[in-house]
Amino acid sequence: MSLKDLISPFYVWQRAFEKPYTQKRPIEDRPGAPRYRGFHMNSEECIGCGTCESICQNHAIDMVPVEGLEQRAGDSGLRPRFDYGRCCWCALCVDICTTRSLHLSNHYAWVTEDPDAFHFTAGTDAMPWNQNSLGYRRDDDYHLLVHDRVEMQALSAEESVAGFDEVMRGYTEEEAVLEADRCVECGICVATCPAHMAIPDYIRTVRKGDYEAGLRLLYETNPFSSTCGRICTHRCETVCVMGYQGDPIAIRWLKRAIVDRVPQEKYREILGDEVEENGKTVGVIGAGPGGMSAAYYLRRQGYAVTVYEAQARAGGMLRYGVPSYRLPDNQLDKDLEYIRSLGVEMRFNTQVGRDIPFTQLLDEHDALFLAVGLNQPSALRIAGEEHPRVLSGLRVLDDVASGKDPGVGKRVAVIGGGNVAMDAARVSRRLGAEVDVLYRRRIEDMPADPEEIRESQAEGCTLVPQAIPVEIRNASDSNQVTIVWGEAEMVADDKGGRPRPVLQEDRMHEETYDCIIAAIGQGGQIDFIPAEFRDRIEFKWNKFVPGDYQQTGLEKLFVGGDIANSRADAISAIEDGHHAARGIHRFLSGALDG
Amino acid sequence: MFEPNPPIDLSSGKYLKLWQGPQHPGITGNMSLELITRGDEVVDCKTHVGYLHRGFEKLMERRTFIQNFPVVCRIAVPEPTFNEYLYAAVVEELTGIESPPRAEWIRTLNLELMRLASYLMWLGGIGAAFGQSTVYQWTVTHRDYILDLFEEMTGARIYHMYIVPGGVRGRLPEGFEDRCRDVLNRVEKLLHDVEKVLFNNVVFKTRTKGLGHIPKEMVDPYGITGPNQRAAGFSRDLRKDAPYLVYDQLEFDLITATESDTYARSWVRYLEMHEGIRMLRQCLDRMPQDGPFQAKMPNVLHWEVPAGETYIKAECTRGEYGYYMVTDGSEYLRRVHVRGPSYTHAIALMEKLAVGTNIADIAGLMVSLHTYPPEIER
Amino acid sequence: MNTVEEILDFAIDREQQAADFYSNLAERVSSAWMKDMLLGFSKEEMRHKGKLKSVKLGDKLLNADQHVQDLKIADYTVDVEPAEDISLQDALIVAMKREKAAYRLYSDMAANIDDPELKSLFLGLAQEEAKHKLYFEVQYDEQIMRDN
Repeated sequence: MSLKDLISPFYVWQRAFEKPYTQKRPIEDRPGAPRYRGFHMNSEECIGCGTCESICQNHAIDMVPVEGLEQRAGDSGLRPRFDYGRCCWCALCVDICTTRSLHLSNHYAWVTEDPDAFHFTAGTDAMPWNQNSLGYRRDDDYHLLVHDRVEMQALSAEESVAGFDEVMRGYTEEEAVLEADRCVECGICVATCPAHMAIPDYIRTVRKGDYEAGLRLLYETNPFSSTCGRICTHRCETVCVMGYQGDPIAIRWLKRAIVDRVPQEKYREILGDEVEENGKTVGVIGAGPGGMSAAYYLRRQGYAVTVYEAQARAGGMLRYGVPSYRLPDNQLDKDLEYIRSLGVEMRFNTQVGRDIPFTQLLDEHDALFLAVGLNQPSALRIAGEEHPRVLSGLRVLDDVASGKDPGVGKRVAVIGGGNVAMDAARVSRRLGAEVDVLYRRRIEDMPADPEEIRESQAEGCTLVPQAIPVEIRNASDSNQVTIVWGEAEMVADDKGGRPRPVLQEDRMHEETYDCIIAAIGQGGQIDFIPAEFRDRIEFKWNKFVPGDYQQTGLEKLFVGGDIANSRADAISAIEDGHHAARGIHRFLSGALDG
Repeated sequence: MFEPNPPIDLSSGKYLKLWQGPQHPGITGNMSLELITRGDEVVDCKTHVGYLHRGFEKLMERRTFIQNFPVVCRIAVPEPTFNEYLYAAVVEELTGIESPPRAEWIRTLNLELMRLASYLMWLGGIGAAFGQSTVYQWTVTHRDYILDLFEEMTGARIYHMYIVPGGVRGRLPEGFEDRCRDVLNRVEKLLHDVEKVLFNNVVFKTRTKGLGHIPKEMVDPYGITGPNQRAAGFSRDLRKDAPYLVYDQLEFDLITATESDTYARSWVRYLEMHEGIRMLRQCLDRMPQDGPFQAKMPNVLHWEVPAGETYIKAECTRGEYGYYMVTDGSEYLRRVHVRGPSYTHAIALMEKLAVGTNIADIAGLMVSLHTYPPEIER
Repeated sequence: MNTVEEILDFAIDREQQAADFYSNLAERVSSAWMKDMLLGFSKEEMRHKGKLKSVKLGDKLLNADQHVQDLKIADYTVDVEPAEDISLQDALIVAMKREKAAYRLYSDMAANIDDPELKSLFLGLAQEEAKHKLYFEVQYDEQIMRDN
């Protein structure tokens, strides 16, 4: 024992007068660090995808309906409710939040007499920390999800203009799995898809490599999966939650990835081909996606189905309006063949009204489904329109699909900004023409699919936005035509619609082309319905207004497709067909009264 | 040494059975010692655990790989970071994900800060166990300074949940390095004071020298690791012998002693705290200031880890800490086993060391082994 | 026409004529849906008539200064015949051209009159017609030129 060891401990007095570091809660307030993980906050960006609920390892989060929440597309209407008896403040919910609406405040101490108060809906219920600007946020460089889409191999612009080969080449198996892996399986897309396809479920089959199960899921709601896997307007992707911080899941391409991996010969084996006849008969007018979809689901339920089609082949707009570089014929046939193989009777070259009266169909069948589509191009109705070098976009596409040369010449003006206009322009490029696309509004207003716009530009089409055609004149060369167009100013619409173009009469231009292709819109043609029925059928503008299950006031008549919905795309027609098939089945089994 | 303690005839009336714990209000709580005493001498000791069993290993089998990372930190309450790191390392090894260099530096900084905080709490514990509760007040205050640093770095003081498979959860906050250096200076100054008050204290020296001697030949058969082993003369440390993270780029010395008693173990830990501060300063000076701190991850919501098995170990304050994991290719792990040094130190070793000691020294002896009951029972 | 009353009666009569025009056409057309639509146009004119009637009882007309958007679609479309097989597109053209003509009529009348009260009445009526024309132009823009 040394003397030092006796004296040294007295050094303890050195720190005797130090102030304590302990906080005197609740007299003193001590805010958490700026990154502190305290109580939850949720902002208006939340769309209720429920990914927080999925990742919470304590099941502390329930997605609950919130009263007074405005209904909007791509929003489940649910919001996360937190149970602080379970929460462990790990903030995985914040890290995974697809919209980055969820945060934690740095507020960590809260005293209340009401035990139920610790079970609240963040952002909706008024909480003392709702205005906190501090607290845990996900770092910008930290991700638990994959934000970049796996791009699909595509032909280069030079390769694609050289012919009619399919531009998009499809995913490899590996690419498909990687893309499918990005899905958070929230299901927000399902509500937006017109056909309400089981999107997260079939994406999971891609991830698991179980394409047969995938095909079965696709056919539950959509017998045009090969087609839709290529040309669907994919509204689902516009609401995909992955789109908030990165690229939405390539849902359309993943659908294609399933179909591409199942050979046609296996369809009957996987999906079944047995039909139990029920002795009733249904007529379908129009062999487009709507009609054939109805035919498929009706046939599955045992109805004898006859499809009446004015053209020589089935497919409707998919065949005559969509060029093969977007949808190759054999892919459309893959879908149609399987439907026909179930025993659907096809009557081609049979136009109702011309070749067979509507009333005869009404008498022969127990029910009718009408989906004749919009096949009458709108006229320009400007002076000089009757010039022989003014063609319609639909006619050009129809000619190309039927193997005829539409004779567009070397320099073409396309009028319009929809998919028909883009396709007419791209087809003209492939036929060797230089193409200007005149459109009355801005490029961002174009109703065509964004990728069609992008690809048409890549392929060398010149887009001329805010150009209003006012007159067509004879050119000095009789094989040419001159168009007069004026520049447009966009004015806001008072009622909240898209901005409208107004002609500026002092800024006019003149240009001469080999031909002008008008593709400004289409209307329908249903004059074959006799006047005696007209009072029982409701119309608005140029469309049918069907009731529940697509039924009209003429009880045996169900309608669908472009002629009966405002969306006018394939997937909506397919859903109309499916919906009508269910309606017809209920109607004929007495469950649906007229 | 390997024979069971001789049987004791309790009915002889010479002995008294005394339970210490499981409600012992110290760092040694949550396990209990069944002591047989004669007078104030302990003649036999049986250790009992099971009071804190929460079934973590089983819980983890029912959670996805990302959901497990908030769970593992709870396995050792005063030292969660080692669990976070080892869990991340195991998953990274099985998936082939490599965390980026910046994350490796931040992780090292984190682990060494944790070690320092954990040692500070232990230092208070050993002081308090031998009547020096002032030291406890000092060290726990300084541990609080470090917890402040953790709070601003990770968002929480105890359960940081900061090291995740793939990297770390965020960059260091603005100005963190300076505040960290300041805390290190304060801790270093405190350590000098503690040396004067505790280690140069005649009472402490008298009571701890010779207490709980671990013979050298006992070390390997009993699976003794960490400072307990180094105080017995072994120069073994996983940071030197099997370097992980950036330890091979750091300069630090291995501390050993030969006496292998409570004082020697305490002194080894005391010097290791200085080495820790040395390493932390190197981390602050040399860590990359930019670059990614997270590897490219798959979608964690349905993260499937390839089938495999692995064991990864790290040197925690108490010795070798290890995670053994088996995966079957699904979204859930098949089996995980956590190897904590407290298990070996607190159960088998304690039964031997307690015999022949004084009742009053039992708590100090337990602290000198530096065991954490939560970690005994996963 | 020298009094407010007379002018309003004239305008009311014109709306009635327009309503009759559409309902007569609706009886003649062959297409089921065109009939519904033309009856709808007719109803729209009757609604205008009702509005003018209430003006007579004291309601206010559109302020002559208020700006009504002119999309100028009617100006550059060709004239079409209201035939039995009239299409939706042509029916809309007929309608907007009729409204445009009415607008011109009232504007010209306003230009040729000095009485400030009557002048502003004519201008107000012209604005009403401009609004009706805008309605049909917007429908043409929406329904016919969907892709343009």
